[in-house]
Amino acid sequence: MATNPDASLHTSAPTSANSGAAVRRRNNVTELGDPSARTLLLAHGFGCSQEVWRKVAPDLARDFHVVLFDHVGAGGSDLSAYDAGKYDSLDGYADDVVEIVDGLGLRDVVYIGHSVSSMVGVLASTRRPDLFSALILVGPSARYVNDGDYVGGFEQADIDSLLDALDANYLGWSADMAPLIMGNSERPELGQELTASFCRIDPAIARQFARVTFLSDNRDDLPAVTTPTLVLQCADDIIAPTTVGRFVNESIPGSRMVLMKTRGHIPNLSGSDELIGEIRSYLK
Amino acid sequence: MTDGLEASYRRLYEDAPCGFLSMSGDDEILAVNNTLLAWLGLERGDVVGSTFNDLQTVGSTLFYETRYQPVLQLQGEVREVSLTLRRGDGSPMPVLVNATVDEATDDSPRIVRAAIFDSTSRQDYEKALLDARRSAESSEARVRVLQDASSAFGAAGSEAELAAAMVRIAREAFSAGSAAVLLLDDDGQLQLTDGQHPFHAALSAGDARPETRAIADGEPLVLTASRGELADFPVVASALAGARIQTLSVVPIPGDDRPDGVLVCFFGRAREFNSHDLELLAALARQFCQTLTRIRLRDELERLALYDRLTGLANRALLQERLATSLAKATHSGSAMAVIFLDLDGFKPVNDLLGHAIGDSVLQQVSGRIADVVRRDDLVGRFGGDEFVVVCDDATEPVARAIATRIAATVAAPLESVGEEVSITASIGIAVYQPSERNREVSSSDDVLALADAAMYRSKKSGRRGVITADFV
Repeated sequence: MATNPDASLHTSAPTSANSGAAVRRRNNVTELGDPSARTLLLAHGFGCSQEVWRKVAPDLARDFHVVLFDHVGAGGSDLSAYDAGKYDSLDGYADDVVEIVDGLGLRDVVYIGHSVSSMVGVLASTRRPDLFSALILVGPSARYVNDGDYVGGFEQADIDSLLDALDANYLGWSADMAPLIMGNSERPELGQELTASFCRIDPAIARQFARVTFLSDNRDDLPAVTTPTLVLQCADDIIAPTTVGRFVNESIPGSRMVLMKTRGHIPNLSGSDELIGEIRSYLK
Repeated sequence: MTDGLEASYRRLYEDAPCGFLSMSGDDEILAVNNTLLAWLGLERGDVVGSTFNDLQTVGSTLFYETRYQPVLQLQGEVREVSLTLRRGDGSPMPVLVNATVDEATDDSPRIVRAAIFDSTSRQDYEKALLDARRSAESSEARVRVLQDASSAFGAAGSEAELAAAMVRIAREAFSAGSAAVLLLDDDGQLQLTDGQHPFHAALSAGDARPETRAIADGEPLVLTASRGELADFPVVASALAGARIQTLSVVPIPGDDRPDGVLVCFFGRAREFNSHDLELLAALARQFCQTLTRIRLRDELERLALYDRLTGLANRALLQERLATSLAKATHSGSAMAVIFLDLDGFKPVNDLLGHAIGDSVLQQVSGRIADVVRRDDLVGRFGGDEFVVVCDDATEPVARAIATRIAATVAAPLESVGEEVSITASIGIAVYQPSERNREVSSSDDVLALADAAMYRSKKSGRRGVITADFV
């Protein structure tokens, strides 16, 4: 904590959370591959959980130590660790990444962040450059909302309709979301059902995470990155269009950018072979 | 027969009472039925070859890409997902979508099939339901915050506890990264009472700070760094940038004639405060103010009950309480303690000849002088009339005598507002309590006081000024 002056702002961050076991539990940490190999830390974005890496992680684990985790509020994380004040900006998530790396005693970490977790990695690496040997940003955006000459791709009204869509879907949504709405603490049989569903997210937390994700502005943080960085840009990504990826690439000194053929925003699922190929070739 | 069946399947597909879409693994639309084209007012050529994203409003694609797609691809299907399509004329069309994935095989590529249902009427109803629920939730949340505040403030026994409760409640209510309560002291300076405040310690006396402006205006203030709203507060702006804070809110805590202080909340990203938020802040501040008034009043009553109103010295009740504690402590530690008893000589004529107002002034001056010459931890009290008592822990007879000598000298010095003919002196007696094996059965505080009083009386009877008589318990 002494190295992180911001942590003092997050009054709820318990010191015990810094120990390996506590961090593992809080962020549902999963490890694959040889622990003595080079470590890849895979971070999921808004809307999903570490499951978004399921087509990527096993392949990488043949040659790397692959560490996966869920952000607090997603997947199998500890929902009771959610502190709305701490997680009201991406800094709270970046604190967690630093705590995971410290808690697990990882060094020279290659951080691979999807979507909003790209910026979480940017913040973690500028805070503790000593922990990271490379950043791989998959579909990054430093700001989603247009601002003057800057084109992020969205207007505030679009973000509001995303929040409407989130609410509408939790309101009427069917079988796989219903248990979450009902709450499963007193109903273990619903918990059983939950383990079969994918990308669990707590509705209330998802709403705040959506705001934090899509209303953040990290443009000023990019020039401070000193870790070698690769930007992986998909074709036809409407969440993070190529102009936005190029902005990230141009703002991070010495970074590289690769335009992938895979279309859309989730190459980890829809273009895993190409994504794996690019990660491997960058780390050669 | 076969032709007829095929034609009927074809018709069923094209004119089904729902829309159909087939997409490649790359999300490219391969086929669309007439029903959906008619709903959207689009030609087949507009749709085939485009993507599902192209058919949606921008807000809908945000949900589609971040939530629908990962779940569909991991689970192989999604059911009744609410999305919003965009008709050819630009108008939105709410739909519910079921979709399944046919994974690629050796013979066929990956295909996604979606059935789309018009949910316009249901959407209106759900939107109304949603709006009602949000409004209910938000007012319920506000009520909960105020109830929580009411019970937490009620349980607070001191200003510090009250401030800590306020900090906790404000952080939770507004999802603030940190919060702080600052109260104005008697000199009009803001003091950090509780919470985390990233720039309070860094400011010098002359630096402009938002809290001062909020207090002067008596209005809440919300400032966001990225909107240039901190330009008037350069020192604050740089401290906030260092702490990665984008927005701060300041609400004055109302007081009698001017605010008593402020509640400040700090946020890691640019935040908006709507009228409900500002009302809630103001309501919390009012509730805080009521409790603060109660706590201060209670402290004042406590002070009145234990201190002499004229001189501000301890009264007889507090003296006796303290003496009992001191005796027990001395017995326990084995070190001596002393009680100094003094009675003013020459005070009665002042009262009789010059009046009570002058008499009161003399008592106040004498009290202040005694308090100035005792040791820091000694307790000076007014025992009644013109009698005073000093309780001295850790004092042997020589120590007590030295204190008593200083008191005698300071009391005898000339007084303000009375003529030279008036001369006040003190008759002083000391009782020293020396704990030993023999007197484990400690005397009561009354006994010790009586002993000091008797010693004082002997000094007075000797008729000579400056005599200090001591006795041992």
